[in-house]
Amino acid sequence: MRIAHIHIENFRNFHVLDVAIGRSAVILGENQIGKTNLLYALRLVLDLSLPDSARQLRVEDFWDGIPRPLTVDARIRVSVDVADFEDDEGHLAVLAEHLIQPEPMVARLTYEFGPIPGLDHEPTNDEDFEFLTYGGDRPENRIGYDVRKRIPMEVLPALRDAEGDLARWAKSPLKPLIDRAKANVARADLDALAKGVSKATDKVAELQPISDLASRINDKLKGTAGASQAVETALGFSPADPDKLLRALRLLFDGKTRDISEASLGTANVLYLALRSLDLDSLVDDGNREHTFFGIEEPEAHLHPHLQRLVYRSYLRTRPSSTLDDAQPAGRVTYLLTTHSPHIASVTPVESLILLRKDDQEKATVGVSGASITLTEEERDDIERYLDVSRAEGLFSRGILLVEGDAEKFLVPVLAARAGYDLDALGITVCSVAGTNFVPYVKFFGPNGLNLPIAILTDYDPQDGGRSLGEDRIADQIIPAMLGDDAPKKRGDRLAGAEANGVFLNNHTFEVDLFQCGYYWSIARTMTDLCSVAVAVERAKTRAESKALEDEETFLGDIGYVGKGRFAQRLAAHVFESKCKKCPDYILKAIKHVTQ
Amino acid sequence: MSPNKPTTNYLSAAADLRRNDRQWAAYESRGHCVVLAGPGSGKTKVLTTKMARMLAEDVRPPRGITCITFNNQCVKELKRRLGKLGIEDGSRAFIGTVHSFCLREVVLPYAKLGGANLPDPLKVAPPSEQDQLFGHAVEAVLGNENPQYVRTPFDEFRRTVLDRTSKEWTANDRYAPLVTKYEQLLADAGKIDFDGMALTGLALITTHAWVRKALKAKYPILVVDEYQDLGIPLHQIVAHLCFDGGMRLFAVGDPDQSIYGFTGARPALMNELADREDVEDIRLRLNYRCGKTIIVASTTALAENRDFESVEDNKGVVQDYQCERGFDEQVSLAMETIVPDALARREGRKLGDIGILYLNQYDGGTISQAVEAAGIEYVRFDQGNPYQRTPVISWLEDCASWCAGGLRTSDPRLSTLLQSWARFTPALTKDSEIAACHRSLVKFLFGTRNPDMRLAEWLSAFAKHGLYAQIKIDPTMADEAESLKLLHEASKDGNSLAQYTVANFGGQHGSPDRLNLTTIHSAKGLEYDVVIMMGLEQGRIPYYKVSAHQEKEARRLFYVAMTRARHEVHLLWSGWYNHKGNRYSNGRSKFVDEVMNQIGGG
Repeated sequence: MRIAHIHIENFRNFHVLDVAIGRSAVILGENQIGKTNLLYALRLVLDLSLPDSARQLRVEDFWDGIPRPLTVDARIRVSVDVADFEDDEGHLAVLAEHLIQPEPMVARLTYEFGPIPGLDHEPTNDEDFEFLTYGGDRPENRIGYDVRKRIPMEVLPALRDAEGDLARWAKSPLKPLIDRAKANVARADLDALAKGVSKATDKVAELQPISDLASRINDKLKGTAGASQAVETALGFSPADPDKLLRALRLLFDGKTRDISEASLGTANVLYLALRSLDLDSLVDDGNREHTFFGIEEPEAHLHPHLQRLVYRSYLRTRPSSTLDDAQPAGRVTYLLTTHSPHIASVTPVESLILLRKDDQEKATVGVSGASITLTEEERDDIERYLDVSRAEGLFSRGILLVEGDAEKFLVPVLAARAGYDLDALGITVCSVAGTNFVPYVKFFGPNGLNLPIAILTDYDPQDGGRSLGEDRIADQIIPAMLGDDAPKKRGDRLAGAEANGVFLNNHTFEVDLFQCGYYWSIARTMTDLCSVAVAVERAKTRAESKALEDEETFLGDIGYVGKGRFAQRLAAHVFESKCKKCPDYILKAIKHVTQ
Repeated sequence: MSPNKPTTNYLSAAADLRRNDRQWAAYESRGHCVVLAGPGSGKTKVLTTKMARMLAEDVRPPRGITCITFNNQCVKELKRRLGKLGIEDGSRAFIGTVHSFCLREVVLPYAKLGGANLPDPLKVAPPSEQDQLFGHAVEAVLGNENPQYVRTPFDEFRRTVLDRTSKEWTANDRYAPLVTKYEQLLADAGKIDFDGMALTGLALITTHAWVRKALKAKYPILVVDEYQDLGIPLHQIVAHLCFDGGMRLFAVGDPDQSIYGFTGARPALMNELADREDVEDIRLRLNYRCGKTIIVASTTALAENRDFESVEDNKGVVQDYQCERGFDEQVSLAMETIVPDALARREGRKLGDIGILYLNQYDGGTISQAVEAAGIEYVRFDQGNPYQRTPVISWLEDCASWCAGGLRTSDPRLSTLLQSWARFTPALTKDSEIAACHRSLVKFLFGTRNPDMRLAEWLSAFAKHGLYAQIKIDPTMADEAESLKLLHEASKDGNSLAQYTVANFGGQHGSPDRLNLTTIHSAKGLEYDVVIMMGLEQGRIPYYKVSAHQEKEARRLFYVAMTRARHEVHLLWSGWYNHKGNRYSNGRSKFVDEVMNQIGGG
């Protein structure tokens, strides 16, 4: 079972939010963008622990963009489409009545909040409104406890005290697990153990120094309160109650030497989560529910980045794989996370990403999701590998410059700085696609994908006979990937419109363009530093003195002795110190494009 | 009691079944099981106890059980019996007729997705509109014939010939075109009728594997009561859901009591089911109701080999009477001699323990006039009943019963009345609307807690509280609104129910102090200490022109009538009768002959 689609109307930050969802959901966005509200919208439909008094929203919960006073048509609506449940009859039994599509089956559950019908005045007070939850687009088909009990949503809030909860029996996620285990412990065994424990602890009190102490306490009491008033005390442990025996169990670490109070916050959080998800699995296995939608706010709290990646990789990567044991039931929990953490985003499957941001008028929060981007399996793998390696910082940036390789990745920020642009301050990330295949990245980040401001920097790559590989790349790959069906039909139009769409060509190749831009001595010094081929170093100096290239091929061949990446890394340092303050024009255009 | 919580009330009921090995076998069945249950064999107890067990032990929440039975009367009785075991109609147990099952569980949720061509919103044609459209159809197809005479065979044809590409359909140049025309007219009016609902439900189940899958997920077990009365559409639904879709079947019924041939019921269907290789068939043979003589006599009339055995230590009486002067003499003999004698013969016997059974509502009219003239209180169950017992009217009877005193004993419970009401008002979705409507209903009920209030006044109050309007507003309730209007009409001055009070109306389900008048058809499922059967003339039963299989049904009818009795069966005949102005003197019914010859009487 999974949530396939979420539709929210007029709720808090959202005017209309319509997003497809993968097997799990990782909701990304700036502070105040409405990540928690998105989870809350789902809770209105699915959370069993949310009281109806909370389902009764308020006038201020309507999206601010609706003019006040509200009219009789004002509606808050939250619809959750659920899919992939038909192979489990328990799931189907809960959802069969709420179908909106039979093959494959999709069920819809809806929450609606609107004015009470037949009011004799405009709805103005909270009391003029009421809510309704129903299934299958049929308002008469009301749903409530029956459905929520079987497929509830639970949320772990951002401000949580994992350590404290673990320490208190009543709140501990260990409690339901131990209670369940207790059902399988023979009563006689428990009784016998309790007796044994009592016997052993009694011996502590019998130790001479301890019993002496007890006598001294009693004497003191008699001395102060008088023999008739004083109570007789003794030192000992409370008698072991077989029922409480198991509650006294504690999780221990490091060869049973330390308990939870000594664990780090991070460990406590990891542990807390592990115990909770074990419990959620058991609830399904015991037949108490069919599935859990588990919302976790800011799961990165207190977790070391390395641990964030490790832990959430396992929770989020539940894609069916041949390595999974057949007996292992399909995911009994759907994880829905809200996060600021690029580390968690970096291990998120593309289809699970949901990006929230302000719409163009800055009035409402809109969202896009990875699940609605059409990618081939190879393209998706490319993106996921890329996010993983790049730590997904692009997802959190205000603009992305897609470049061909490490050379650009090292040098573009430095060159931008020469021209007065601080890319970090602007929130612009430079992402290397490690080659010239921009297609998956353009699809993913571009206007038909996550719709982030992007620019593409690519080489002209002249060929014999006047052709340009760069132009071919733009016309045949990048523009079609970016615009889809809206791409112009003619090659000429595609090329002419490239810059307007954020695709920028240089004049030759990155290094050649840098030379032409004026970094003659920076390049020569880099060659002197790194190149062990004497003739190549000589040629570099000659070029710097003449401010001209004998021919591009030899120039690039000489850099090849060093390796483009290593060359660029060192060159960055020299450029930083150079008197030249120029930045190649196509890079400047790209920066302007994404900051517009 | 939450409808989701399994109860264990059934365990004590189950202890009783242990004493009867066949009942116990049914209780212990694991797969498809068909119970052929003779009269008085405790079939309802077996069914309800088994259903409670399956809900508690075999089916885990959120899944449940569907229970289908013949008509609203049976539904009401089953709900009452299941309620005692802690099972309420609700999310885990659906209890209803074939029609309501098709409407609520198939058509409403799946018709649109399944591409069924239905009016949207779904509007049910009320009986008067059905009659009107049917009249037009008859005129268009058959010309000058009287629609009233055509209706019954038309219904039977429509319910039994389901494959419209079959020869049976295409070769029929009378009813097939009539059905087509009638359904066309209904569709043009944007309406559907009850049979249309069942046929649409069947079509959705037959066509779409996903519908079967969804139904099986929700209800892994299908329980059917009164299987013999349920006809071909249900039989096919069972075949598709159980033998194709994987649902488990638990069916109960008695082919010997199949007396609704004219509605499309066929006793062979149940036998066919019982004969299946993959079905366990269990025949209950102990009769806990009828005296020994009555069992012998009734089995003789049935003319089948049955090994029923009476459990009660009671010989039973079967007696016949000739009233040469005709039907009126039969009526006076019954009223002046047989009834008073029967009352005197046994201590504690009351009028309510006696049932007068007759062949048709015309006889019922004659009898009820005489009973009324004699100043005897009675209750009449037949189509001649001044009103149709539709679900809403049946619920109104419960309301009246509550107003007439049920409030003090919580029978029926107010909450049950309110819950049922919610089902009649599906158009109300908002909490505020539902609450307002509940307030009106409660106000009405509390304001009319007077057993002596006239029914007409009580129904006016119902309307005044806006409750009638609430039913009328919903297009799926059009038929109910019309029946309700007719009931209200009948209760007004000068009409048939003018004398009815709230107490009368609320006590319609057999009160211990009222004589029961019923057609044999309507006596199904009931039992009396004493049964008086009237008008048993050769030519009337069996009817003078019958086919072999119709004569068999007449035998079953006779059998059903006799087996309603615990102690006494009185058979009254004159040897002659009038029919369409002619007098026919064929002597007593040959069934009476056979019975009396067998037991050595007359």
